[in-house]
Amino acid sequence: MQVFDKFKPNKLMGHVLTAIGYMIPLVVASGLCMALGQVIDGDVRNSTTGLGYYLYTAGNYGMSAIVPVITAGVAYSIASRPGIAPGLIVGFICTQIKAGFIGGIVAGFLIGFIITCIKGYLKVPRAVQGLMPVMIIPVITTAVASVLMFTVVGIPFTWLSEFLTNWVTSLQSGSKFVFGAVLGGMACFDFGGPVNKTASTFVNGLMIDGIIGPESVKFVGSMIPPFGIAISALLTPKKYTKAEKETLKAAVPMGVCMITEGVIPIAARDLVRVVFACVCGSAVAGGLCMIWGTGAPVPHGGLLTVPLFTNPGMFLVALAIGSVITGVILSIIKKVPKDDGSNPDMVNPLDIVAGTENQPKATSSIKDGDLQLENF
Amino acid sequence: MKVVGVCACTAGIAHTYMAREHILEAAKERGDSCFIETQGTIGPEYVLTDEQIADADVVLLAVDVAISGEERFAGKPTVRVGTAKVIKDSRGILDKIQELLDKKNAQ
Repeated sequence: MQVFDKFKPNKLMGHVLTAIGYMIPLVVASGLCMALGQVIDGDVRNSTTGLGYYLYTAGNYGMSAIVPVITAGVAYSIASRPGIAPGLIVGFICTQIKAGFIGGIVAGFLIGFIITCIKGYLKVPRAVQGLMPVMIIPVITTAVASVLMFTVVGIPFTWLSEFLTNWVTSLQSGSKFVFGAVLGGMACFDFGGPVNKTASTFVNGLMIDGIIGPESVKFVGSMIPPFGIAISALLTPKKYTKAEKETLKAAVPMGVCMITEGVIPIAARDLVRVVFACVCGSAVAGGLCMIWGTGAPVPHGGLLTVPLFTNPGMFLVALAIGSVITGVILSIIKKVPKDDGSNPDMVNPLDIVAGTENQPKATSSIKDGDLQLENF
Repeated sequence: MKVVGVCACTAGIAHTYMAREHILEAAKERGDSCFIETQGTIGPEYVLTDEQIADADVVLLAVDVAISGEERFAGKPTVRVGTAKVIKDSRGILDKIQELLDKKNAQ
């Protein structure tokens, strides 16, 4: 149906990604302000004034805005501008009832759905048409969605958040390692892409509830790809093109600041092998972090914030172990690029299994289904 | 053909700009006129002008997320595709679009 076009299954993830895109700078800004505040003022939680206090408090407020921004982002992606106001309000409710990130995302869809219904089915006389965007839509949507969140929709998500929190805190050492390994693998799997952000929203939620172990796993997962690839490039420089070595010169400092995306050009040329090596290293490091009880009290900031960690020494050891594992594995499995600088890789995993990875490919890999057409 | 387009990815710092470069490169290879706007985290850059949009035969949206200003392209033939696909094979996508356009014009 035309009205509910935005709710087609293939579009749902796009709404969440839009919201996460808006959330990232918020997390980085708040997280770094909190971290800076703690660096400046060691006892910042008990302070009432001073630069450290101001920054820490600013960051704290920013953190509390994360769920509202996610909800508003999802609602905006579905319903465009009218989604923002109800999204911020209902997102704030999600924070208050502790429905967490998942609740916030669902609230965004709920708001988008309500607005879509109003726009599609509520016909008003021409005279009050001007009131639709500024009054009718925001008020009805906020009222309906808020009451639903408080009474019905929010409750299972509050339970879910509570359950997850309890579950993570009650893990025993064996399962702790597995949990850390899965999180670490997810955190690095797509170099800052949707899988990383899914893991990230989850651990950020836990961090706000005071469980900071998983957050340190996210740190190793986000920093191991650039460090691991750099180690591999030092071990086997021949397996990297000139352009890739240049890319690494930018990617490593980015990695220090916990921005993984710098390695994407290198990963893109040889996706399967690079992802495999990074996931191996990050999974081990993530598991070690959980077992060794390291914890990150901030959501972002890379090596600059390590002094604030619980067990910072062990964190660095885990990071080093993971990076070396990634580097060594990658150096072993990576192939030397062809002389013309063209790219032998971009390999379909099925080709590796079938042993046909070096055969020439069909000219175009684009299928009809890849393109969505309008007005054709 | 004349192409205008928008690139936007989730984080808005890497794929957005890689996609733009790949499309421009492929268009140059094919001899197409091509203007691509980016909507990264920094905000819109290389913003399309009304004339560029009016002149274009086709709109290529290489986007993973919701973008702003989509109403500018109302009524134009529009192709939507993820940034990853564009980075993988922008030439293939442009060739495919040409094929689709030819088919449409032949009708």
